[in-house]
Amino acid sequence: MNNSLIMIIVASALINNVVLNQFLGICSFLGVSKQMKASASLGVAVIFVITIASAVASLMYDFVLKPLGMDFMKTIIFILVIAALVQIVEMFLKKKSPAVYEALGIYLPLITTNCAVLGVALTNVQNGYNFIECVLSGFGTAVGYTIAIVLLAGIRSRMNEKDIPAPLRGAPIVMIAAALMSIAFMGFGGLSF
Amino acid sequence: MKKCLERLYNGLLKENPVLVLMLGMCPALAVSTRALNGIGMGLSTLAVLVLSNLVISCLRKVIPDQVRLPAYIVIVASLVTVTELLIKAYLPSLYDALGLYIPLIVVNCIILGRAEAYANKHTPLLSVMDGIGMGLGFTVALTLAGALRELLGNGTIFGAQVMPASYEPMTIFIQPPGAFMIFALIIAIMNAIGIKTRQRQLVENGCDGNCALCATACEKKNPAEKKEGGAEK
Amino acid sequence: MNTGMMNLSSAPHVRDKWTTPYIMRIVFLSLMPATIVGCVVYGLHAAAIIAVSIAAAVLSEALFNIIAHKPSTIWDGSAVVTGLLLALSLSPSLPLYIPIIGSVFAIVVAKCCFGGLGKNFINPALAGRCFLLISFGRIMNTFAVDGVSTATPTANLAAGKAVNLTSMFLGTSNAVIGSSILALLVGGLVLWSMDIIHGQICFSVLGGFTLFVALFGGQGFDPAYLAAQLCGGGVVMGAFFMATDYVTSPVSRLGQFIYGSVIGVLGGLFRLYGSAADSFSYSVIIGNLLTPLIDTYIVEKPFAYRKNALRGLNPDSRKPWWKRIPKPVISLTVITAVAGVALSGVYSMTKDTIDAQEEAAKLDSYKVVAARADTFRAIEAAAEMTGADSGTYGTTFGRVRINEVYEAVDEQGNPVGTVMSITSSDGFDGDVTVALGLDENGKVVGIAFTELHETPGMGMRADESSFKEQFNGKETVLKLVKGEADDPDEIAAITGASITSTAVTNAVSAGIHFYQNVIKGAK
Repeated sequence: MNNSLIMIIVASALINNVVLNQFLGICSFLGVSKQMKASASLGVAVIFVITIASAVASLMYDFVLKPLGMDFMKTIIFILVIAALVQIVEMFLKKKSPAVYEALGIYLPLITTNCAVLGVALTNVQNGYNFIECVLSGFGTAVGYTIAIVLLAGIRSRMNEKDIPAPLRGAPIVMIAAALMSIAFMGFGGLSF
Repeated sequence: MKKCLERLYNGLLKENPVLVLMLGMCPALAVSTRALNGIGMGLSTLAVLVLSNLVISCLRKVIPDQVRLPAYIVIVASLVTVTELLIKAYLPSLYDALGLYIPLIVVNCIILGRAEAYANKHTPLLSVMDGIGMGLGFTVALTLAGALRELLGNGTIFGAQVMPASYEPMTIFIQPPGAFMIFALIIAIMNAIGIKTRQRQLVENGCDGNCALCATACEKKNPAEKKEGGAEK
Repeated sequence: MNTGMMNLSSAPHVRDKWTTPYIMRIVFLSLMPATIVGCVVYGLHAAAIIAVSIAAAVLSEALFNIIAHKPSTIWDGSAVVTGLLLALSLSPSLPLYIPIIGSVFAIVVAKCCFGGLGKNFINPALAGRCFLLISFGRIMNTFAVDGVSTATPTANLAAGKAVNLTSMFLGTSNAVIGSSILALLVGGLVLWSMDIIHGQICFSVLGGFTLFVALFGGQGFDPAYLAAQLCGGGVVMGAFFMATDYVTSPVSRLGQFIYGSVIGVLGGLFRLYGSAADSFSYSVIIGNLLTPLIDTYIVEKPFAYRKNALRGLNPDSRKPWWKRIPKPVISLTVITAVAGVALSGVYSMTKDTIDAQEEAAKLDSYKVVAARADTFRAIEAAAEMTGADSGTYGTTFGRVRINEVYEAVDEQGNPVGTVMSITSSDGFDGDVTVALGLDENGKVVGIAFTELHETPGMGMRADESSFKEQFNGKETVLKLVKGEADDPDEIAAITGASITSTAVTNAVSAGIHFYQNVIKGAK
């Protein structure tokens, strides 16, 4: 595999981590990371949705929107593509693995509004990636999201509410944990092969 | 009239979208690198929020329930694109600062959240007031965080040098870890104030059964708390 | 509860001497050799840094406990050790407010907020150090000898220069306070022999690092090279004193081995392929992030099997599928169509204004770099090789693209030079787009940035005139150097922002090269 393609995956997963660096997908990141199982399942669903959404969005943009000069419609079209994909995943999960569907609960339809999915599609357009690059970038981004949410779930599983000072309980301490994770991930900055 | 004002108070303080409801964190964290960005993003979101609440409230009896989420999204996406084009044309420096985050107003959970939770159940007037309240709350939160981050990370507020010249700016605050920390700080302070207020109320009025905001350890809240070291799931 | 007269307590009644304070005291003592050597070699200021760091750590923990109404914990000695570890990992020439801020962050944020000793998930001293690295990047990187900023041995090694192994081993080289490998080894091996730290961790860290550097460092298993890499950049300190922290490392033996290896490999990766000389701290804290996962050891329970349980409860699912589509789909299509029409209206209304804006911004930056120009004319010869669809220009400039080339013309129609817009995708944080102005002889008049999103305080300093003015008057392909630029074809990099500096220099060089080979020839 070409070096620059590997760089795209590493860059989107670790160097510009979607959650810890670009702040996309925070709502579900903070909400779902309470439970390890849900986090892992959400991560896998996100990988599926984002990779395919990047691919489809890239095709739509290159073959439909750009030639017709309808660049300004990209936000709407991308969102509709994502909504459709999430519906498909939902139906698939409901049939094949009801337990996972239950575990994900409200967070599955919320992937539609997950800034990360739309954000990746828009960034791909901005970077002028070709089809392969779009798919890899989407895949890398989703992997980065999964890594971040699973790591945070691990950290939260050993946090005990009673030890934490009262004003910090709930959202603040999770954000401090995210801040420390973000500091750690900045170690990947400037990495290049 | 009172209901309208109540909507404003609600959005600004009691149910501040970013600090209490924890919606719209993505743009809040990303954009609040300086106070000016906070105002720009906040007001743009306010505009979209008010318009979307208005449109969705007017159409609430027309949109079929099954497709309401995609329908809201299309409406919001159009409003956002319109806003984006207008800002790009007439306020280019703001556009440079906010960049990628304007289209992301579409998935700003606040807009969809309020559409779902309020606008599709209430009259247009109240929905508009709710939009204004939430938008103002969002703007205030963002501007406050932006000001703090700009102050610590750059020594300035709104571009004006506030810190003494010998102050070495701590650039971490205009970067991602700083965003998390500043918001954690603001929310923690609000929590602390809330806890103190509750405790004073408890002393004055006695327990009113509202356990959610209470930090006092008592029987009513956690009857099983006697068990030490219960495993956290 | 100890009432003084009778000791009322529950089991266990026979206690071991291995309490937390006891262990902390031993760790503190094991750090003494490195501390003493550091103070002797680097002088009074180093001792001050150490003292201030420990004091700040202890005070902030005491204050936090008072404010949070918690029992006092400073007597367990962990704050003292954290303060000492942080100080030992700092440069001896830092202003004193740096260790204070670092210690406060380490204790208050990384430790106390989570509930104090035993409840933190990240090594406090390293969290504090990385906080300082990000906040005060430039200052943290200053290692001054007699007031002159000099490179550390690790930085020299990365640049391919020779290093003095003996001085690194003894601790007399230009590095952090606690850099005497000999002293650190003495302390570390004592701790290991007393079984206070686990061999699985420290040796797998060292092993993983050595293996990675040997395989990818380009010099094979050359012992001198490996030793030089190991003795610098906080690897030994990290292996023996940081990664081995009980709270933040895994419990199981296999887990510890995996954790140590990951830290070692990451350390090697960052050392060889990263841009900062100082990256081992990050490797350890990334390892800390993995510890909860390693400990939990995710076990997948077989998911309960509930096939078709919910079918039939949803009325819609009883209708045949082709009847389920129409109404919602129609309303959605109508709404989308209306939206589309409205949007095209606004788009055509604003299109011209937006386009004019972009042109104006571009022309402004061109005017900056070609002051006498009045208008800009396209150049025939350049047309094929430029533009957004053109590929990478040349092979030695990295990922650069020549966007546009124009001939600058004054009011009388005389050519006064050339302006170019060049983008390098090798910036730290995205694309860097330079507007380059050349005079009639191909010498650089000036550069301006139309796109620069680098790290504030580091890469963004490329926008300062002191950096940009270096390019004025250059007329050949340029070379980036660290420190002073002496030759006419050299450009001095911005300290701590070598990636950005390289991207900008490559962009300008590509522009100059393009001018010499394509434009000048065509004239």
